[in-house]
Amino acid sequence: MKLWNRIRFWLTRTRLDSELADEIGAHREMLERQLRGEGLSPADAHAAARRRFGNDLGARERSRDEWGFAWLEPALRDARFALRLLRHQPLVTVAAIVTVGLAVGANTAIVSVLRTALLDPLGIRDAGNIMVASVRLEKLQMTGAETSAVEYRELQEMTDTFSAVAASEPREWTAELGGQPSRMLGRGVTPDYFRVFGEHPLAGRFFHREDRETVAVISYGLWQTQFAASPSAIGTVLMLDGRPYRIVGVAGPRFHVPAGVQAWVPVVFSPDRLRRRGYNMIESVFARLRDGVTPARAADRVNRYVAGLKTSNDPTGMAHLGYFIDLDSFSHFVAGDLRRPLWLLWAAASTVLLVGCANVALLLTSRTAGRRREMAIRLAVGATRWQLLRQLSIESSLLGLLSGLAGIAVAALAVSLIGRLAMPGKALLELVSLDRRLMLYGLAIALACSLASGIAPALQLLRTNQAAAMVRSARRGFQRVFLAAEVAATVVLLVGTSLLLRSLWALEQVRPGFDSSHLATGFLLRPPNDPGFLDRLDRNLRALPGVESAALAYPIPFSGGGETSGFSIQGRQHFQGQPEFHGEAYFVSAAYFATLRIPLVSGRALADSDTAAAPRVCVVDSLFASRFFPGGSPIGSKIAMFAGWAQIVGVVGSIHGTALDHSSRPTIYYSMPQIPYFPSRAVILRTSLPGGPLIRQAVKQTNASVPVFDVRSMEDRIAESLGIRRILGILVSVFGALCLLLAMVGLHGVVSQIVGERTVEIGVRLALGARPAQILAYFLGYGLAAGGTGLVLGLAGAGWAQQWLAGLLYEVRPFDPPAFAAAALAVLTTLLAAVFWPARRASRIDPQRALRYE
Amino acid sequence: MAERAPDLLPGTLDMLVLKTLARGPNHGYGIAQHIHRISGEALTIGEGSLYPALQRLLVNAWVRAEWTASDTGRKVRQYSLTAAGRKQLARETRDFGYLVAAIARVMEGA
Repeated sequence: MKLWNRIRFWLTRTRLDSELADEIGAHREMLERQLRGEGLSPADAHAAARRRFGNDLGARERSRDEWGFAWLEPALRDARFALRLLRHQPLVTVAAIVTVGLAVGANTAIVSVLRTALLDPLGIRDAGNIMVASVRLEKLQMTGAETSAVEYRELQEMTDTFSAVAASEPREWTAELGGQPSRMLGRGVTPDYFRVFGEHPLAGRFFHREDRETVAVISYGLWQTQFAASPSAIGTVLMLDGRPYRIVGVAGPRFHVPAGVQAWVPVVFSPDRLRRRGYNMIESVFARLRDGVTPARAADRVNRYVAGLKTSNDPTGMAHLGYFIDLDSFSHFVAGDLRRPLWLLWAAASTVLLVGCANVALLLTSRTAGRRREMAIRLAVGATRWQLLRQLSIESSLLGLLSGLAGIAVAALAVSLIGRLAMPGKALLELVSLDRRLMLYGLAIALACSLASGIAPALQLLRTNQAAAMVRSARRGFQRVFLAAEVAATVVLLVGTSLLLRSLWALEQVRPGFDSSHLATGFLLRPPNDPGFLDRLDRNLRALPGVESAALAYPIPFSGGGETSGFSIQGRQHFQGQPEFHGEAYFVSAAYFATLRIPLVSGRALADSDTAAAPRVCVVDSLFASRFFPGGSPIGSKIAMFAGWAQIVGVVGSIHGTALDHSSRPTIYYSMPQIPYFPSRAVILRTSLPGGPLIRQAVKQTNASVPVFDVRSMEDRIAESLGIRRILGILVSVFGALCLLLAMVGLHGVVSQIVGERTVEIGVRLALGARPAQILAYFLGYGLAAGGTGLVLGLAGAGWAQQWLAGLLYEVRPFDPPAFAAAALAVLTTLLAAVFWPARRASRIDPQRALRYE
Repeated sequence: MAERAPDLLPGTLDMLVLKTLARGPNHGYGIAQHIHRISGEALTIGEGSLYPALQRLLVNAWVRAEWTASDTGRKVRQYSLTAAGRKQLARETRDFGYLVAAIARVMEGA
């Protein structure tokens, strides 16, 4: 009531004020009349009433103060004044807003990614209590490997540690969506899957123990796009791979585990799968910690269990591979390889923010130098220091507000671009969004920055009663600290930039071991009831005009790697100390090696005659040959990895199959018709025409109901494998360049200001015989001294900070001299350039004019 | 200005105005006159404090104001007590009673 009245009064204050004036006028008239009645002459009565009344303006003013927001009005006045001031110096204002806005925008955008990936992974409630199990095989240097159903069963049995455990395995189906055959991504999950994540169905239900693979839960997105968000979707039948699934539930709008999945179906493990460790892998096991159980205690529990397995003479034969079960946090699972780069980018963006702040502080310091008169006058006519401070902080807040808004705009733009980046983890990045909380974060850091950068100049201004020279030297102190900090931060970023760019450059020189140019690739799902499909497709592909050669394969290089597995060699026993019999397999058509131009080293490549009916054969790569058959030829030996013994008929060159920065595992190529396991197939075309449409055309011509997806050139796939490094390299360079520019502007501003203030002194010196070169050298020296401190600090800082880069470097050692030298050189050159112009201006001062200057 | 009551306890002006209005609606001048008269001319309410006090009471919704014509036909603003104002008056009267009694006890005891 009171607040409402205040607001009402305040809004109508102009009318109220004139009413008050009327009222007080009436009061005075009545008083006058009374005084006249007591016998005073009209003139005397008037004067007396006036006297009695005192200052009626004062009464009105104090009355007005009662209408609520008296304390606010001066603030608004200050804000209007500040706005005028900002408009008056557009260059300083725009520079400050752009600087802080860019830094805040970058920071906010990165925090929004951090939030989705790490801080609040996929928006799951108390994600800190969800652990993800994976297998580590120490002898094979494999971490994060998939588990089998056995680990799921074992974790589920640890009821003292976990309150719910669920497993999921990938599914992909062909479904008719919007009249088009599409590939749909899903997961087969055990009954407790949704319970682990504390998720409730938006409609319908989730899975019961009795459910078999005939029902499905669909994602909110699918429900929206395919079922128009209708409640009648529950109970309808969804055809996946031509099989009917009854929809029993819809997941909530924010449930995206894992990102990009459109449907979940129940999975029931056979007793055999629940017993055989290391076979028939599932993707992930999720476990929710029981209340009060810490992640460390859970890990300890699992480790003790695994240790027990090893001593009890484990029949599954995994112990010799250095078998462990790792428990990782859910955020670790979601963010994967993005963790390090994300924190790095956040640190870089925050550095830019700090440098930006320092620069704004420098800008404001030189501006406030010109406002000393204004402040002195205000103090002289009775303003309190508090009032001045309030006005200055309102100026800073206004600046902060504007830069915050600019920052939010930058962040919104950046976030809209994030989903389109060519890098792994796209499905996750598409979930990144900017909400109100993040906008508030952006606004808050912008305000904090502006206030922080406003404090130093404000404090200085208020010390007006001190000797001008002292104030000046205090200002110099501020400026030196800010400059040194700016330069130091710039050096750290530049060293990081050059380390990253050198790594990227080195990586781009790496040849993948095959000819990646002019290769078009695409994936498709094999239709369930079309036995001759692959043969027909192969023929149709080869018949395409403009296609040099075509192959079918699963998988293909740079699409996540082959199927890893252990294997046996006929007639050989594995001895302690020998390399483990472990490798990865690709299932390829005969034309694969010719299409990719992988050289044949010895023996023969796979041939069209290696059909399902022919004896099973395989080709191995040179890494496989040298590791398992050192000094001999593998040709003629038999190995068993998939589907029994296969004779090695040839050796081909080794390629980079997953990434340019590390070589593949020993690789085995099977003839595709002989191992028809996987539903997914890839097409590879060597053609100088745009290959994507050709692939779609050939597939459609072969079977119109087959979805084609993930169509890209091989070059794009390789580029994407470098995506994180590229983006990191580009962003860190941009941030570094921004810092360099800021440092340059800052130093230039400071030296210009000093030259301006000391014009007379320089004039006197020149008049007394100083040579211009001495003046020039003096100011160059000043700039270098200011920058030099920062440079030394920055190099030391970079030496310390580079440990965070270690995992991202390729063929560049820490303390790489060229990287450090390049950064130092860039900074020194920039500093010299920044100081040179004002210094030269100083050396060309005309003594005559300088002495008339004041 | 010299007539401003020197020893009006802080905060009591609001109470005096409310009490005056409890007798019936009145305008600013009337309120000042009434307090002056009833107090045996001991209290003179300066207009510089009366009008701010009236605004305070309005904001708190303890009084309400409306424009009426005075006896002489001059347009004046007339204040009257609201229900909330009546309650506030009771509260202040009680508090004031306690205060006076307490002060009296101290003074007598000395």
